[in-house]
Amino acid sequence: MVPVSYSVRNLMVRRTTTAATALGIGLVVFVFASVLMLGAGLKRAMGRSGSADVAIVLRAGSDAEASSGIELPAAGLVTASPEVRVRPDGRSDAVGEVVGVLALDRAGGEGVSNVQVRGVPDDVYRFRPSVHVVAGRAAAPGSDEVVVGAAIRGRFRGVDLGQSFEIKKNRRVRVVGVIEDRGSSFESEVWGDIDTVRAAFGREALVSSVRVRLRSAGQLDAFKRAIETNPQLGLTVKRESVYYEELAQGTTMFLTILGLLIAFFFSAGAMIGAMITMHASVAQRSREIGTLRALGFSRRSILASFLFESVVLSLAGGVAGALASLAMGLVRFNIVNFATWSEVVFTFVPTPSIVASSLLFAALMGLLGGFFPAVRAARMNVLDALRA
Amino acid sequence: MNLASLATRNVGRNRFRTALTLLGVAVAVVAFVMLRTVISSMEVAVTHAAHDRIGIRHKVSFVMQLPRRYIDTVRQTPGVHSATWANWFGGKDPRNPREFFPTLAVDPASFLEVYDEVAVSPADRERWLADRQGAIVGDQLARLLRLRVGDTITLSGTIYPGNWVFHVSGIYTATRRSMDRSEFLFHWDYLNNALPERRRDQIGWIIARVDDPSRASGVSAAIDRTFDVQDIQTLSMSERSMNLSFMGMMSGLLAAINAISGIILLILLMLFGNTMSMGVRERTQEYGVLRALGFLPKHIAGFILGEAAALGLAAGVLGLALSYPLVQYGLGRWLEENMGSMVPYFRIETSTAAQALGFSLLLGVASALIPAVRASRLTVTDALRRID
Amino acid sequence: MSSTEESAAAPMVELTHVTKTFHRGAETLTVLDGLSLSIAEGSFEALMGPSGSGKSTLLNLVAGLDRATSGKVRVAGQDLTAMTDGDLAAFRARYIGFIFQSYNLMPVLTALENVELPLLLTKLPSADRKRRAATALRVVGLEDRADHYPRQLSGGQEQRVAIARALVNDPKIIVADEPTGDLDRKSADQILALLEKLNKDFKKTVVMVTHDPEAASHARVTHHLNKGAFQ
Repeated sequence: MVPVSYSVRNLMVRRTTTAATALGIGLVVFVFASVLMLGAGLKRAMGRSGSADVAIVLRAGSDAEASSGIELPAAGLVTASPEVRVRPDGRSDAVGEVVGVLALDRAGGEGVSNVQVRGVPDDVYRFRPSVHVVAGRAAAPGSDEVVVGAAIRGRFRGVDLGQSFEIKKNRRVRVVGVIEDRGSSFESEVWGDIDTVRAAFGREALVSSVRVRLRSAGQLDAFKRAIETNPQLGLTVKRESVYYEELAQGTTMFLTILGLLIAFFFSAGAMIGAMITMHASVAQRSREIGTLRALGFSRRSILASFLFESVVLSLAGGVAGALASLAMGLVRFNIVNFATWSEVVFTFVPTPSIVASSLLFAALMGLLGGFFPAVRAARMNVLDALRA
Repeated sequence: MNLASLATRNVGRNRFRTALTLLGVAVAVVAFVMLRTVISSMEVAVTHAAHDRIGIRHKVSFVMQLPRRYIDTVRQTPGVHSATWANWFGGKDPRNPREFFPTLAVDPASFLEVYDEVAVSPADRERWLADRQGAIVGDQLARLLRLRVGDTITLSGTIYPGNWVFHVSGIYTATRRSMDRSEFLFHWDYLNNALPERRRDQIGWIIARVDDPSRASGVSAAIDRTFDVQDIQTLSMSERSMNLSFMGMMSGLLAAINAISGIILLILLMLFGNTMSMGVRERTQEYGVLRALGFLPKHIAGFILGEAAALGLAAGVLGLALSYPLVQYGLGRWLEENMGSMVPYFRIETSTAAQALGFSLLLGVASALIPAVRASRLTVTDALRRID
Repeated sequence: MSSTEESAAAPMVELTHVTKTFHRGAETLTVLDGLSLSIAEGSFEALMGPSGSGKSTLLNLVAGLDRATSGKVRVAGQDLTAMTDGDLAAFRARYIGFIFQSYNLMPVLTALENVELPLLLTKLPSADRKRRAATALRVVGLEDRADHYPRQLSGGQEQRVAIARALVNDPKIIVADEPTGDLDRKSADQILALLEKLNKDFKKTVVMVTHDPEAASHARVTHHLNKGAFQ
């Protein structure tokens, strides 16, 4: 076996070429990792928003809360269903909320954007224990106070702690707190008192949706059947996690396709870069290879040595690229959710599996790119190589 | 053969490496063209927006509706040439529930007047105006749902529940790039008459054409002022501003795409630089011979830069040649057919092609600058002696 | 010690007390130490010596490839001592024909184009250039290989193309650095015979560096160098 140090030292000797190729691969891995992190961020925003043991009820035929309306008596029937978990205080673990989309001015002054506004009942935090007020305080029930999600804080005029904005003409709301929820889509929303929001959006005697926590995730089918088969209600039931998945479908598909295309092109580029460098390396070291073979090293060990060199080269770049991509965790990314037509803000989420995938990807590129040059090195005729 | 052609002849020196470099750069160029076309196609809506149209909607939220009588007030506003309205119907084809296409309830005569880029044959137009249940569909939607004039189609409503029966009166095409060719347009009266009393006579938004495009913002402000004192306020802005706002909601995505385009250019630079510096290093002795023969440092630099320019140009042309079938006819067709509402026009702009070619050429030459300077600075004897 | 040849005309090459030193980091290496050399026009002279003797350095000075650290260098009536790099380049193009040990032909050019190369520096039109190159190839007996690429030629043939290239500008001096170093005996003899022909029939002054005594025997005068001085 050709010693490992031989491969490594060869890379060090041709420093500029090694650096340039590694840097190129590093850039590719950076983009690859960032795309994966974006996907993870989107998934988390959607996934953390929905639980398996919560069911969401909408008007039949509606895709999203903003276009759905359920009359209060019907909502009451839903929350009283036997499959719904009951809290220690005797109340159903459920909420009915009014959801609308509000046009707000961007903070930088570049136009208008749509933000989802949710009118919540006073026990909403008990229903969603993962939501925390991280700055300021919770809005007082029945008041003109609102809290805003951490992801949209400061992005729009009047939407920050201590500020105020108009939810309807002559109806100002004050921002008293900022909420966080592990990166879920609730962080892109404004939450206000249900009656205030109801009045602003003209949803008298209605809620947009009812969410219930079931006694167990397995209760969904029974619950769904009971509600949907009641012709007087005209409602549809979905598992909350499935609801969010479907909502994100359009956006996810768009980003996935873009991401795949980018990954495809970039991996092709990385392979070609590695191939060029390794090919030149092999050509230049013909005499060396001949010497090694004359000394008795087998073809296989030559092949392995060059493959190893290629992989080390790519991994060096991969590590640099993966490290750089971690910095993307600080960046906030906004895109329109095509289903709700409101802006969703999420972040690049670095996970250990993404870092591992990126490094694996780099190694694979090195392996594939260096394959043909390594084969060429192994197949060299000893005498020809020595004479080169 | 002359000095100029001598430079390009060296491209044929190491065929394998040249071929790989060309391929690598071509791949990068295709990726670059694809990304820039994604952006330019999204901007199509902005750049090709009608200059003389303004949109008027409910100030609080686009999901809230305006009273029908508002259209009369708008028509009477000074500066307004004509106006029409539309309701977002949100219909789905039960046979193809996953296909998304816009369904709008409109006032046919005034709609066709305001949206003059919708082109229907006179026969289709007459048929549509005469049939209350009639609808015209965009040619792309017709192809997608396999619809022909005379067909009957039932849509299920997500906002207005129930099954709605329509007759296909005609198929429209667009005379302007930004027009979505996958819309389903039917009579607003048909919708309105089927609604219960309390939901009647509500319109989604108003679109008005102004006499003088330069006064669009003035007329918008005047309209909003008129309705400000009433119970329902409006938000008016030019079509261009609306599209700009939409782009703003996608600002994160656009920034990411721009960043990736920049990274692609960097990778291009690195690919070229690597190849050029390897080539120059190998030919040091040859350059020494040329210097001995009497060629000057500037000649040597010229040969290197000329070779880089030839390489850059060839790579750019190859990349473009690949881009048209892949990006425009491959990806483009798919996007236009399946995401036509967002991407009605996915064509490679001339400016994008010019940029791709220009960057390839420029970066090819730029990458060779340092090797060229270094090579030309060598003394003749050093160059001759060097065995790298 | 110097070795001179009496001749009526001014010598083609005249080096007077020439020194050449190199700096390797902090070290100073004196390769040529106060050497003087005179070569008559039309002569064929060989420079021999072990490696490190300075023979190649000396050749570089004669050919205008390098500048002496001190001393005077006059070649073909030109004072090279004070010339700038640009002047030296022009000098070489006009007066010197080069033959190197490894043939240094450009692999992407045909034999004819390789010979044409030095003419690109002149103002000759393309047709004239091609004619002159073809003539030079005829002199070395390779006119039928004009369209061949170097990889299609044998070692000896490549060197002959290099000689044709050295001739094409009608130089005063042919400078050859180990011209037969990479060749087998038969090809080497061919090359040396060609050099003799250039010297006798075309009246070119030839200065050759070699370590092969057999090659040196073709020259009229052989100078032996050791450690930067003549012996």
